[in-house]
Amino acid sequence: MAPSALQPPTRLSPAAALALSQQAPAILRSSTSIAYPPPLNKLLSGSENSEKWLQYENLIMSCLRTGDDQAAHACLRRLIVRFGDDNERVQALRGLVKEAEARNNGALEEVLKEYNQILSGNDTNIPIAKRRIALLRSMGRLSDATSALVQLLDFSPTDAEAWSELSDIYVSQGMYSQAIYAMEEVLVLAPNAWNIHARLGELQYMAATAPGVASGSYQQYMAEAIKRFSRSIELCDDYLRGYYGLKLVTKRLLIEGALAAKQTEGSEFTLPDTNTIERLNELATAKLSEIVRRSLSHDRGWRGYSEGDIAVARDLLGEDESQVTR
Amino acid sequence: MTLLSKAITALGGLLLGHACYSAREHTTLLSLRAATAATLTSSPTAAGSLPLDIIIETIVSTFIILVGLVLGTRPLRPIEWRVWAGKIEREGEEGFTDSSGAVDKDFVGNPFSLLEARPNFVDIRKQRRDFSEWVRKGDAQRAQ
Repeated sequence: MAPSALQPPTRLSPAAALALSQQAPAILRSSTSIAYPPPLNKLLSGSENSEKWLQYENLIMSCLRTGDDQAAHACLRRLIVRFGDDNERVQALRGLVKEAEARNNGALEEVLKEYNQILSGNDTNIPIAKRRIALLRSMGRLSDATSALVQLLDFSPTDAEAWSELSDIYVSQGMYSQAIYAMEEVLVLAPNAWNIHARLGELQYMAATAPGVASGSYQQYMAEAIKRFSRSIELCDDYLRGYYGLKLVTKRLLIEGALAAKQTEGSEFTLPDTNTIERLNELATAKLSEIVRRSLSHDRGWRGYSEGDIAVARDLLGEDESQVTR
Repeated sequence: MTLLSKAITALGGLLLGHACYSAREHTTLLSLRAATAATLTSSPTAAGSLPLDIIIETIVSTFIILVGLVLGTRPLRPIEWRVWAGKIEREGEEGFTDSSGAVDKDFVGNPFSLLEARPNFVDIRKQRRDFSEWVRKGDAQRAQ
């Protein structure tokens, strides 16, 4: 099934992005090419819906990705005619097109200068501020990007997306405790987001298994990871990612069983006893194998998981079995 | 399922129509008889109500129509968070399609996936590079 042009295409697979950008000519053709400016549009082109503009926005992104610059420009032109040249979102999209077409570093510097100029006129232009951060990060200037992002969060602390980006930048630099802090801020803003709980669990696990972690904080990280994964499962039935993480963590803890016995007393998060960990591990194994089995046999109502995820889960289960037979 | 509900609704409609027709016939007959009776005796006797069987038929047919309509509604959306979230993860788009195969307009998958995808921070140059890499790999595979 072709992906819908109504959803942001940043996480699509290359094949899906290609399919989406191939819809572009049809979508461009199906709507009138003349977009009238605000006072006339109501009279001449009937009612408009917001979906149309969202579609254009997403098409720009996927067309740029697949290298179809012509279609991207066509979409952008329509947005400019409709919303004007100085609309913040349109400005950001125009910057995006320029970034994508920049051939060398000089051109990128040029785009960056433009962003700075816009921000010096209006420093609360959040879409442009975000583009600038993304561009800095893309150019490898991570410290600049981080400080700009922290500045942005200073005056807009309820922006969950920005906190999530900050966390991602910290992870890419291996600064796990900062990344965990930023992810916790996302959870404060979106407490029911099951994927963010799972993500935080993954961060805790990464922090725990990073080289050179003290044994006390190792256990704390692992205990937190179990909690986060469990919460994500609590928020979402049959959540493959949550069960996968839970199994990964409990398996590791069971292998190191002896270590868990002597816990540091008085720390905020203590590991549950071995019995509980064992039962959690059994539950995760049972659930994972059910998901894998039903998904592989294409049962009705179990086809929502991605094939890659299922394959990885099967590998994890397979590892387990080979250990048992040995 | 839909055929059954349609059949039941149609049956209910038929019964209701029959009841209406019977009621009309009954009142016509009654007024005719009253007119003829009035010429014979001057007492207005037959102002009576509808017979019981027509009343019962009306009520029963209304209920049958209701049952048919209720059976024909789409399955209700889950109201528990974890069930709803699980449905999104487990079934994907399939769980939110109607009988004609079109995905619900307001279906967006996991609404929180935006927090991980971060469309406003997209690194378009990297995506472009990755895509051309993917194309080249596909070409190489086809050439083999």
